[in-house]
Amino acid sequence: MDMNRMEMNRREFLINAAAVGGGLAIGITWSDESSAAFVNPEPWAQPLIPGTVEFTPWVSIGKDNIVTVRVTSPDLGNGIMTQFAMTLTEELNCDWSKVRAEYAPANRNLKEKNVYSQPGGILGYFSGRSTGPERTASLLQVGASARERLKEAAAQSWGVPRAEVEAKNSVVSHKKSGKKLTYGEIAEKAAVIKLDSEPKPKDAKDWWFLGKASPVKLQLPLITNGSAVYGIDVKLPDMVYAALMQSPVHGGKLKSYDFEKVKNMPGVRGVAVVDPSEPRAALDPKIVPFPLGLSAPQSAIAVIADHYWQAKKALEAMPMEWDDGPGAQWKNDAQVVKAAKDALDREGKKIEVTRGKPLELLDKQAKVVEGTYYTPYCDHVTMEPLNGTCKVTADRVDVWHPSQHSQQGLFVTAHETGVAPENVYVHQTWVGGGFGRRVYSDDIRMVAAVAKKFPGRPVKVIWSREESMRQGRFRALEAAKLRAGLGADGMPVAFHVRSTGGPGKSVRYLADGPHASGMIENVQVESDIIPLNILTGPYRGPGYNSNSFFIETFFDECAVAAGIDPMEYRLKLFAKWPDKGWTKCLNEVKTKARWGRKLPKGWGQGVAIVNWGMGGKPEHGTTVAAVATVEVSKQGVLRIDSIDIAFDTGRIANRDAIAAQIEGGVIFGLNMALNEQLTVENGRIVEGNYHEYPMLRIGDMPKRINVHYGGLSGHERMAEIGEPPVGAVGPAVGNAIFKATGKRVRAMPFRLQDLSWT
Amino acid sequence: MAVDLNINGKRQSVDVDPSTPLLWVLRDNLGMTGTKYGCGIAQCGACTVHIDGVATRSCQVPAQAAANKQITTIEGLSKDNNHPLQKVWIEGNVAQCGYCQSGMLMAAAALLKKNPNPTDADIDAQVSNICRCGTYPRVRAAIHKAAKMAKA
Repeated sequence: MDMNRMEMNRREFLINAAAVGGGLAIGITWSDESSAAFVNPEPWAQPLIPGTVEFTPWVSIGKDNIVTVRVTSPDLGNGIMTQFAMTLTEELNCDWSKVRAEYAPANRNLKEKNVYSQPGGILGYFSGRSTGPERTASLLQVGASARERLKEAAAQSWGVPRAEVEAKNSVVSHKKSGKKLTYGEIAEKAAVIKLDSEPKPKDAKDWWFLGKASPVKLQLPLITNGSAVYGIDVKLPDMVYAALMQSPVHGGKLKSYDFEKVKNMPGVRGVAVVDPSEPRAALDPKIVPFPLGLSAPQSAIAVIADHYWQAKKALEAMPMEWDDGPGAQWKNDAQVVKAAKDALDREGKKIEVTRGKPLELLDKQAKVVEGTYYTPYCDHVTMEPLNGTCKVTADRVDVWHPSQHSQQGLFVTAHETGVAPENVYVHQTWVGGGFGRRVYSDDIRMVAAVAKKFPGRPVKVIWSREESMRQGRFRALEAAKLRAGLGADGMPVAFHVRSTGGPGKSVRYLADGPHASGMIENVQVESDIIPLNILTGPYRGPGYNSNSFFIETFFDECAVAAGIDPMEYRLKLFAKWPDKGWTKCLNEVKTKARWGRKLPKGWGQGVAIVNWGMGGKPEHGTTVAAVATVEVSKQGVLRIDSIDIAFDTGRIANRDAIAAQIEGGVIFGLNMALNEQLTVENGRIVEGNYHEYPMLRIGDMPKRINVHYGGLSGHERMAEIGEPPVGAVGPAVGNAIFKATGKRVRAMPFRLQDLSWT
Repeated sequence: MAVDLNINGKRQSVDVDPSTPLLWVLRDNLGMTGTKYGCGIAQCGACTVHIDGVATRSCQVPAQAAANKQITTIEGLSKDNNHPLQKVWIEGNVAQCGYCQSGMLMAAAALLKKNPNPTDADIDAQVSNICRCGTYPRVRAAIHKAAKMAKA
């Protein structure tokens, strides 16, 4: 194959997205009975099979007629791989059972000048959502361009016009002559075809697959027979195992250890010390998606052995001492909470939003409402504990990793090992839960930091559950004080927010929700950071997951103060916001949850509505409304009867995938609201395992989680669905508890609140 | 020391410290990584296998204690994803990240074997595995569906 021509073709595919032309495929159908697209147990990129033709780095077609689509974002269970395959199939018109997905290698992206990260920018493309506009557009274009080349190649072979050639179900055919070829048979010719102009992908209204078909996730058969290779499952020749211990107080340092005491234990091969003060490689920060400081190494020690259990036993038996550093000043959780709440009495150092005359007008209103709220540190507790496998040699590093951002992982590994980024290969495995935990790549750094001390052999580093939970990059602790002055009609005229918390806290939704973006005329949002030592990071709906609770609990308090039904209050409030999705979602849950129906004593309904990703703008992001119906016994035992959800993502691509993400998001939101809390003692995280950090189980589920589609506005965006549900659930439940008991819950987790009533 | 294990109908002798948890013998010594490590303290159930037909958290079973018993792991649930639970799991798009699901399936399989027509309360009592992604509603629906399939 002429490589220069290939390169030309690739560029055309990626650049000529605005070109016109192309045929419209009609009459293709999809049924649930079709056998499905597939993926390997080892999902990382495989070498091309001889005879396979690559059209662009995104797609190749083999002689066996299998189409391979390369996926940049890791599938964390959210169906991203399936979505990529679906988007390509929409335009390529391939047979769904002949599509195979694999991960795009970050190394290739680097060597081929960001070929996978051009559309959407370097930050977005190796993580995040699967239906972002740039990503969808570029995949549709890739599919359309490849399809037209297949048709043109067939047309040339048969001496007929391309317009008479049909491409459907991975076969090109010519009706008049009855000629047919599979995509695989014509692929080699097609890949070198030069078109006068690139075809234009069809309008969304003409889609036959996206939004119509609802295939299950490609990896399901690998999950049900246990063959999917997660990071912790990687098997390599000569592999050894490491058990890891980092400074129990974040930011502390290893003072001393005595490996002699354990070196003769069975299987033990060595010890590795991770010293944050050792020099690291220089790396141009401009090419790294996230700042390298977010993955800063922690002082740590690891024991290396033939098997993990041996390494773990030896690590536990090894004497070691730590210098706790300044973090130890935080003696107990009460001290931490007090520091956060005390800061609410001072003006925030940063004014995030100021509009109108909030402070002047607030106290002059007919009624003033005030509430102070709190959410604690939470860990992602991904079911797969943190881990990774790394082989370091002088001129090449390989990492097999359950990453949430393999591109970031590549640069972090290069930074840690000193091996040039071009020679670092990250092999993306299946991921046993992400929720934001594996984005910054601090985990991949610790893996590389241990492995570089034991070069030449693959080292699998495993965090115990306790290590994983205590060495998280937690959801930041946050406190907020909200005040509003209500006018004569009971609606907010002036609104004032103060928000504080540890480093890593965010004002997302607090500073860019409708209330702060013009819906209320007089607004001020302030924020401040208190110097806590605990490390934080993104956690499903960063910032939004706390701030939704603050805002929507507070609006409920405003409704009560105004003497207006909380549903009607919100309908009135959001009627002023120029995005009809909000009232559509509210009306949908109002009807479907039979809002306001007569309920027994001790029962109550609560509502909340929020948006993830709007960034201050109407018709952006995903709006989610929830109604919780709950029962609280006189003794204060909470039982959730049902959760009703309506949402507006604009449009949707896969109905069942949406339902699955909403169900999971609701349960995630319930865990956060009811259960999750990490506490601090002498600078250390106390909770280490599930008995101290309870998770809902199947018996704790609401009787019903009802996902309703009537909130969809039909707006052209296909906004994401993974993060949005988590924000609406907690406040809806809290507001329902108030309705049931008269007790207002202003802090998470609710399990620690006294909900008893008489 | 050699421990004799009977796994998925195959007898094998493993040279291992007999106090090593069965979980780690399966994973590290035998390369059977379908059985997952989640917590190490019998809380989460990701490591569930059958020992003499009983759903058991393998992180708490020393290899020695499992010697000469019938051990079934996810790899032994069926040859070709044809166990009724595996079928409904795929059809129902049950799993999300999937990490807890081998344990979930093994717990469900043991339940159905003992109780072919479980009620919601039976499921609540017997499938106490933790799933962080929140697949519980689909797990429950799939178990009921598999039970119905077996009756038909």
